[in-house]
Amino acid sequence: MFVQLDIQVYREGIQIHNRSLLIELLFLLDPPKNVTVSSTGHQGQLNVSWVAPTLKYMDDSMIYEVLYAPADSHVGQVEAIQACSEMILRGLEAGTKYRVQVRVNLDGITYDGYWSAWSDPVFTETLPAELDPLIVSLTFIISFILVLLCLTMFLSHHRFLIKKLWPAIPTPDSKFQDLFTVYGGDFKEWLGQTSGSLWLTSPFILSEECPSPLEVLSELNLCPPLSSPPLPPKASKALALVRNEDRVLNKGLLDRESVDKVDALQTNGWRTPLHDHWLLDRLREFQQHPVPRSQCSLLECQDTYITLSGNKCTEEEHTEDTLEEALPPGVLFASRKPPKSESHSDLGSVQQSSGSGNLSSQSSFEYPNNAWMAKDPGYTYMAVADSGVSMDYSPMSRADDIGKVVIYANDYKNEIPPHRRSFLVRQYPVHDDV
Amino acid sequence: MLRKTCRGLFALLLLVLEWTRPGLPSPLRPICDLRVLNHFIQEARDAEVTMKSCREGCGLTEAAFVPQTTVNFEDWEKKNAMEQAQEVQTGLWLLQQALGLLRTSMTNSELNSHIDSVIRNLQSITAVLRSLNFQEYTPPASTVGLEGTWQVSTAAELLQVHLNFLRGKVRLLLLDAQACRQEAS
Repeated sequence: MFVQLDIQVYREGIQIHNRSLLIELLFLLDPPKNVTVSSTGHQGQLNVSWVAPTLKYMDDSMIYEVLYAPADSHVGQVEAIQACSEMILRGLEAGTKYRVQVRVNLDGITYDGYWSAWSDPVFTETLPAELDPLIVSLTFIISFILVLLCLTMFLSHHRFLIKKLWPAIPTPDSKFQDLFTVYGGDFKEWLGQTSGSLWLTSPFILSEECPSPLEVLSELNLCPPLSSPPLPPKASKALALVRNEDRVLNKGLLDRESVDKVDALQTNGWRTPLHDHWLLDRLREFQQHPVPRSQCSLLECQDTYITLSGNKCTEEEHTEDTLEEALPPGVLFASRKPPKSESHSDLGSVQQSSGSGNLSSQSSFEYPNNAWMAKDPGYTYMAVADSGVSMDYSPMSRADDIGKVVIYANDYKNEIPPHRRSFLVRQYPVHDDV
Repeated sequence: MLRKTCRGLFALLLLVLEWTRPGLPSPLRPICDLRVLNHFIQEARDAEVTMKSCREGCGLTEAAFVPQTTVNFEDWEKKNAMEQAQEVQTGLWLLQQALGLLRTSMTNSELNSHIDSVIRNLQSITAVLRSLNFQEYTPPASTVGLEGTWQVSTAAELLQVHLNFLRGKVRLLLLDAQACRQEAS
């Protein structure tokens, strides 16, 4: 060893091979013997040991490779080790059978060679999986804490959660007393029996509206021409209308049937709160004027009553509602008639519905719903008090009388939808849409 | 009280004496790790490989005597430790002489570095041997006519012999060194 070896091969006297080599560099060893695989006592570990080839002076020059794989797998891992005849395999799966093989070679510094063949495979099963007590206990603690948190959150917000998950469906029972319980949902009956005015008026009362009613009685002789030179145009309209009403009515509206004239003041001007103030002032003036009650008494009963209430603080929706409610009493029209010649208004554009030639109690109301709806909902409109009802429409006591309104049915042939007919001739404040 | 003081003084005295102990030089720690030798062997191999690719300026001007590198385990084991050590030390001396000769006749700069490292390694090996308590070696008068020597005429041969010598006899000697065996056991 450690000297060059020349090899020459001759065949029949002819050299066929010639090579120089060092034999200590050409080792091919036998595979390691007595490969044993055992468990180390830890999870996922195996201890492999073998017997090194018996060669003197070369023990520390040997290197080994250990091939291990699960028994059913074809691809395995290789671990190398030098000059040691045992090895611990780590990172193995628990409870699986592993196949282990070993081979040997020389390190190539002093001695060199080729890898030996793999040793015969040895099969061993790793320890079965265990539940680490620490992990189990930690899992329990964490889940317990989470459950506690969930419970706490749920208890503190249970009302909110219930409201979200099972939202309360509002029912109208609270607003309609006895409607569902006594009358079984029959609205007509309920209206007829109970004081439905509560239902109608309560929104008015509750909505914090401040009606400023303007009452114009047809029979009142608003004789003294109101000297109010710089009237606001809308107020002048009102005045003009009032005067017109006077004259028109006086001309022959004592007829009962023709009483059902509806004067809808559909001027847009009624809407402003300034005019409300002005109207109130006018009313007070009227009040101060002595009005012959005797004259009025009859007419009060029979004539049309025009009540205007200008609101300063109406709500839009409410006005819509009242608008709808007020419609059936059928008093509301938007008539687009050209201003009558009777109008003494300063403004030529005042829309007036004199109504005298338009209405009769039995006649159909000219009640263009569409037109009505098309206009701004902020019209003041009036409720017509039909014949046979004595209603006191004094502006001061208006609020008190609201509760005394009597309902009576009328056979008005009009376009009012049937379900609204029970609303006919209701008296309720009319609100401006301010 | 007095006894305590006496004990303290006695301990102090021992400390001082130990510290100022007249001195034999402490023996070198034995270098038993063969990785040192492996490193030298690898450098020798690098030198040999480089020398093989050398074309010019890398030749011996005159023949050099080198130790024989043939190793037969049975024969080696028959020799006693002293003979083995003698053989190795002679061989190392011869190689040092030859490499010195090569160094002077070398003109290739790249190979110079290799030769220098090889020469240094040989000196280190000598020191290792000294650490293993081998007896001091007294070199002979000349290299000519020594037993168990070969003669080489090329640098490549010289380096090859050098490599084989390190891997063979030197290694065997270090492997079986008494000092290391004593330490291990």
